[in-house]
Amino acid sequence: MKIEERLRSRLSRRNFLACLGVTAGTAAVATMAAGCGSTPVTTTTPSTPPSGSSDEDILNFALNLEYLEAEFYLRAVTGSGLSSSNIGTNPGAVTGGSQVTFTNPAVQAYALEIANDELLHVEFLRSTLGSAAVDRPAIDLTNSFNAAAMAAGIGPAFNPFADENSFIVGAFVFEDVGVTAYHGAASLILNKTYLGAAAGIMATEAYHAGEIRTLLNGLGAPYVTYANQISMLRAMLGGGNETPVTTESCVAEDNNCASFSRTTSEVLHIVYAAGAGVVSKGGFFPNGMNGTITSTVS
Amino acid sequence: METKNTEIADLIMNGSRQITSSRRAALALGGAALAGLALARPRRAFAQTTIGDPDILNFALNLEYLEAQYYTLATQGVTIDTLGIGITGGNGAPGGTVTVKPGPIVPFVTPLLQDFAVELAAEERIHVTFLRSALGTAAVAMPNIDLLNSFNALASAAGLGSTFDPFASELNFLLGAFIFEDVGVTAYHGAAGLISNPAYLTAATGIMGTEAYHSGSVRTRIYAAGTAAQQAATAIANTRSKLDGTGNDDIGVGTLSTGAATIVDADSNAIAFSRTTTQVLSIVYGGGSGGGAFYPNGLNGTIK
Repeated sequence: MKIEERLRSRLSRRNFLACLGVTAGTAAVATMAAGCGSTPVTTTTPSTPPSGSSDEDILNFALNLEYLEAEFYLRAVTGSGLSSSNIGTNPGAVTGGSQVTFTNPAVQAYALEIANDELLHVEFLRSTLGSAAVDRPAIDLTNSFNAAAMAAGIGPAFNPFADENSFIVGAFVFEDVGVTAYHGAASLILNKTYLGAAAGIMATEAYHAGEIRTLLNGLGAPYVTYANQISMLRAMLGGGNETPVTTESCVAEDNNCASFSRTTSEVLHIVYAAGAGVVSKGGFFPNGMNGTITSTVS
Repeated sequence: METKNTEIADLIMNGSRQITSSRRAALALGGAALAGLALARPRRAFAQTTIGDPDILNFALNLEYLEAQYYTLATQGVTIDTLGIGITGGNGAPGGTVTVKPGPIVPFVTPLLQDFAVELAAEERIHVTFLRSALGTAAVAMPNIDLLNSFNALASAAGLGSTFDPFASELNFLLGAFIFEDVGVTAYHGAAGLISNPAYLTAATGIMGTEAYHSGSVRTRIYAAGTAAQQAATAIANTRSKLDGTGNDDIGVGTLSTGAATIVDADSNAIAFSRTTTQVLSIVYGGGSGGGAFYPNGLNGTIK
């Protein structure tokens, strides 16, 4: 088969796999039926700004996501999360998360780097926002993963801290989403300096995502299967924009080979684990995010 | 609000220049072989009033031609025009030539890596097609590209020997990919601040994301390949940093004293680096002016 045909085959397979998401939950059927028409669902479109959102609102939206990632990775590599100096004066509680027992030194080195990167992102955004920075919201790293595993068809429970391979799957839950969130934010931000910073953080998240997808391909089944079940769930919740992990797709991207973008509402649907309607909390953020961008549009 | 924004802008600018933090300093400054070299290279800022979006996209197109040819030759042994990808200008200008060794197909032994190479080739070709389509008649032709002498010169500059054949083995292929991918990220990152059209901005940012996925995967594979591969990549990163005139905006692949890997090529705020078009040109020209290394006769378009 010619290379271009192989690629087209791969792209078609993306859409096919995305459509398989109907098996993962009845609530999602209607969503996916709408998304699985005759045309591919993999075209990236610019975000529409929530009305009245300022650059600070958007950076605070990003800060909520960085709190989540930092708590996940820091707890995985050290057993404890962000220090009191990085979470604001009235922070929400964090549920779950424990130190992973790494057996492969390379995976531990990767995890340490990502944890430090996400910590630096929290510190950078808090410093940039100054007194406008929102506090850490309540974060759930236990029930959230269990519910996601159930909705994705993986099983009734999933503990990403159980071992290093589970940790890699847990990381996969976040990284592609981070890329799409910053990509969407980049098109909303007015200040060119903020834009440069947001684009640079987005690239860092994409380095992480490419790394995690590469590690998943190295692990093979069942971890790639779990990851792709997660990917399908994200597609159902967050408006498509997913590429399954295969040995020929280390990138999550559209048909122009540009990495995907999501609106803030689409990102909220994923992290709140809620596929339809106006929702303002759930999933990883049991009390919702802090700031002004906290509810899905519909 | 204006004052606040200015303060924040200052903070971001100052923060992003603090490269020599404890986190990244070890590797950034670790290239002892390069330490004695003069780093000063005059840098010019392009006047934004004379550079439009098509100029920026054409600059990117030149880089995508290079990447697409490299990966396609490595995986299929042919140039992209033989696969139906246009290399002529949108105005009919003829495309350039590619200088490469005979039989460049890489002898892959690892199926996972071969699949990845096929992916890279296909995606960079699509970037070429996408940019040519977006530019229409304004698209520049492919410039002359050198994939033979360029690598030799860069290897020599990096202290990796007098010759380097990126097609000789799959590890060499990875190091060749390493040369391009991080630079692609920094080029699109820099371009994002110059593009006016929101649709182009979204597209360019998305392509940057794809290049960063590529880089993350390439660097992870180099890390896994062991110390010698990591050291070669780090020597290349240090050379890029030297060529672009800063000396401190590129991180190799390795392990810090904290135990953390350095898969991400980012500054002390964990923000991926950015380069001006002039800095990118200095790297792909191998330090030359108006052309050299990968582009012996320079890029096509207004930014060259």
